[in-house]
Amino acid sequence: MAQPRTTAPDRNRDGEARIGSSARIRGRIHGEGNLVIEGQVHGDVAVRGDLTIAEGASISSQVVEAHALTIAGELEGEVNASGPVTLAAGARVRGNVRGSAVAIDEGARFSGRLDCEFDLPPELGGASRTEGRARASGRR
Amino acid sequence: MASTVIGAGITIEGEIATDEDVVVAGTVRGKLSAKEAVTIEHGATVEADVTGGSLVVAGSLTGNVTATERVDLQSGARVIGNVKAARVTIADGAQFKGNVDMDV
Repeated sequence: MAQPRTTAPDRNRDGEARIGSSARIRGRIHGEGNLVIEGQVHGDVAVRGDLTIAEGASISSQVVEAHALTIAGELEGEVNASGPVTLAAGARVRGNVRGSAVAIDEGARFSGRLDCEFDLPPELGGASRTEGRARASGRR
Repeated sequence: MASTVIGAGITIEGEIATDEDVVVAGTVRGKLSAKEAVTIEHGATVEADVTGGSLVVAGSLTGNVTATERVDLQSGARVIGNVKAARVTIADGAQFKGNVDMDV
């Protein structure tokens, strides 16, 4: 008789979570810890850790909340990050993005509003006002 | 390595469907269907109907289970629901309430 498999092949993945590339989720994902999404998610995502939306992933939701957020896949919905947001090459994002910092790499496609606070460089009057507020919208 | 891992702090409320393996260490409410192995780890809470190729439960599961190959309820597992699979094992120390159907 085949021996039942035990559940402790690699125990040290506390807090790690991954939605694999063939996975499709319809519903809400929330919690603590980091999350990597490679598959399709239809619904809201709210994690307290870092969220990575990998290449090939596709998310359609109302709000995506995380600390640091890296997007290399497709995302439709509002992004609300307490940390930095990176739109990597190949990303396709439609929706408003808010983060402590936002980086859009070359090759990323973005349509929506950016909302982030940043320090203006001195030549733009940043010497007197240290906090600036950017609202940019791009459409491609 | 499992292709989908629902970490200990993560909760998914809704429907999960995948062709690959799933490991649940967190919470799933709704429905979970996989074509390959499904592992519900110690400390995980699943309130969902689960289908998969094979299923290993060491955590808490409320819902009906259908596996094409086998279901193993390990010590510490707490399962309420019906189990349907050709091969079923229930380890000493597993809690189980429900029907077993091995006539697939």
